[in-house]
Amino acid sequence: MSLVQILLESFRSLAANRLRTGLTMLGIIIGIASVVLMLSVGDAVRAFINKELSVLGSNQLIVQPGTPTENGARRRTNDSPTLTIDDAVAISRLPSLKGAAPTLQGYFQILYGDDNSNTVVLGVTPDMFALRNWKVQSGVALADSDVRSANRVIVIGSNVASTYYYRRDPIGQTLRVDGRPFTIIGVLAGSGRTLDGTDLGDLMAVPITAIPVRMPRPRTVHYINAQARDEASMGEAQRDIAELLRDRHRITGERLDDFQITNLASIAQTGEAIGAGLSIGLGIVGAISLIVGGIGIMNIMLVSVSERVREIGIRMAIGAKPVHLLVQFLSEAVVMCIVGGLVGVGLAALGAWGVNSTGKFEMALGASHVLTAVLFSTGVGLFFGYYPARRASRLLPIECLRQD
Amino acid sequence: MSLIELSGIRKSYVNGDVVTPVLFDIDLQVRQGDYVALMGPSGSGKSTLMNLLGLLDRADSGHYQLHGQDVTDLNAAQHAQVRNQTIGFVFQSFNLLKRMSVLENVALPLLYAGQGRARARLKAQELLDQVGLADLGHRMPNQLSGGQQQRVAIARALVNQPPLLLADEPTGNLDTKTTLEVLELIGQLNRDQGLTIVVVTHEPDVALHAKRLVRLKDGRVVYDGAVAEGGQV
Repeated sequence: MSLVQILLESFRSLAANRLRTGLTMLGIIIGIASVVLMLSVGDAVRAFINKELSVLGSNQLIVQPGTPTENGARRRTNDSPTLTIDDAVAISRLPSLKGAAPTLQGYFQILYGDDNSNTVVLGVTPDMFALRNWKVQSGVALADSDVRSANRVIVIGSNVASTYYYRRDPIGQTLRVDGRPFTIIGVLAGSGRTLDGTDLGDLMAVPITAIPVRMPRPRTVHYINAQARDEASMGEAQRDIAELLRDRHRITGERLDDFQITNLASIAQTGEAIGAGLSIGLGIVGAISLIVGGIGIMNIMLVSVSERVREIGIRMAIGAKPVHLLVQFLSEAVVMCIVGGLVGVGLAALGAWGVNSTGKFEMALGASHVLTAVLFSTGVGLFFGYYPARRASRLLPIECLRQD
Repeated sequence: MSLIELSGIRKSYVNGDVVTPVLFDIDLQVRQGDYVALMGPSGSGKSTLMNLLGLLDRADSGHYQLHGQDVTDLNAAQHAQVRNQTIGFVFQSFNLLKRMSVLENVALPLLYAGQGRARARLKAQELLDQVGLADLGHRMPNQLSGGQQQRVAIARALVNQPPLLLADEPTGNLDTKTTLEVLELIGQLNRDQGLTIVVVTHEPDVALHAKRLVRLKDGRVVYDGAVAEGGQV
């Protein structure tokens, strides 16, 4: 018997009981739709987090002054500015690091002609742009010469540009930071809240030498951004920095560090874990509904076999072998699962389209998820269809024919 | 040459602890080209014997040689193969598959024999021509009269050209006129094509069409001979 013939007969007997077939497939449809949707949600969340993290820059370490705890009491980290620009330079020369950039920051009133705002201004070096993956969409980034000469120039975020320089070119305009005039030389590309709590679009960056912040000791900074060579060397980089700083700050033996290092990769890993956890958790929910759907298939196939005992008997009488009946009933279960699976994928696509149309979240059905779902539903059909089909194939012809 | 050789066939039905013997040591030979009517009162075991002949059931003991092959101990798949190739069935209630067209019903044994769809349909059409239903192939079985349905069943039984046709009360659901037509068709198959026929019936009129009468009573053969000499027939 050819595959075409088998499939034809399956479709025919499934079509003979449309309502029942439809209701039975519903379990598979919902199961597959949720599996596909859930796996895709997990992916989307991971992609979302990775995108956010790429705004932050990859493999970031932040070195802050201060001791995590001192005699049991937690101290504010900026009380003792122990890190210096020279520390940053020394750190940037470590082989396990790609670079390091010192940062000062302050909260200032900004005057844009008649308008004003209060915001955080960062004093940075040009290295910071590479480290944080900052791209300039118009104008130029800060240059080494700006830092050397303490030029009063500023690079602003795209939100600042669109809010205060609506339909005007901000480049060349002057704004006042704490009353001092700064010339806008560049606008950063992109916006969006990064995981360190700031919005890239609201950023204001001036040369570290030009920021009007007074530190208690010369050349000290609020923190140092560092970037490890790659993900694998994060730990090594962290140890190297600690060793270097303890050496430079002459901290020996049992004495506590006067700095602390935060590993942003751990945040990235947390995000990744959230995405993966979501995928697994929701995938399991989907898988459970698929199993429930599969049990529905098995149930209805058992009913179908006992309803069609006479048909089975006739087929046996005219020469159907047990394997023919096995394949016939198995194929009905599998056809239901595959059709249900395809409808489920369609439903998931509709769901993804709905999510995307809200514009808050970007979601795509991965081809691999669709393939997984269809293979999985075929598997469900084979698994849950096998027992009823085998039952049909093991019936004795005379017992089938005797029934009405 | 014997097409069917039964020796020492016994069969009982078990229902819980109750064992009901149905057939006792049946020995029966049917030559190729014979036309046998199997008669007997209800409970005589004639249907059971028919089911054993058709490999729809298994005997408890004894031997069954069919078409030169010992089929006693074959497995289910082998029995199916023998049914497909060697035996054609005609039942009282026609037993056509109701979701398939007449042509598909007739073609089905060929599909189980492993033939392609196109060839099977061609062959099935030939058989429909032969039983006088050439134009009804596309109809569904329930759109046909009883007599027509039984003709379809006969066409289906013969589509694989088996040497043996087993008919279990083939006219039980038919009126007198169509009964005659169907019996005429069966008789013709026996005469013209040398088809061996075993028909189970309780109607003497039906048995009169056969060449030989086998009468069963209480699970034993009580008469085996020419139809005319059957006395009560």
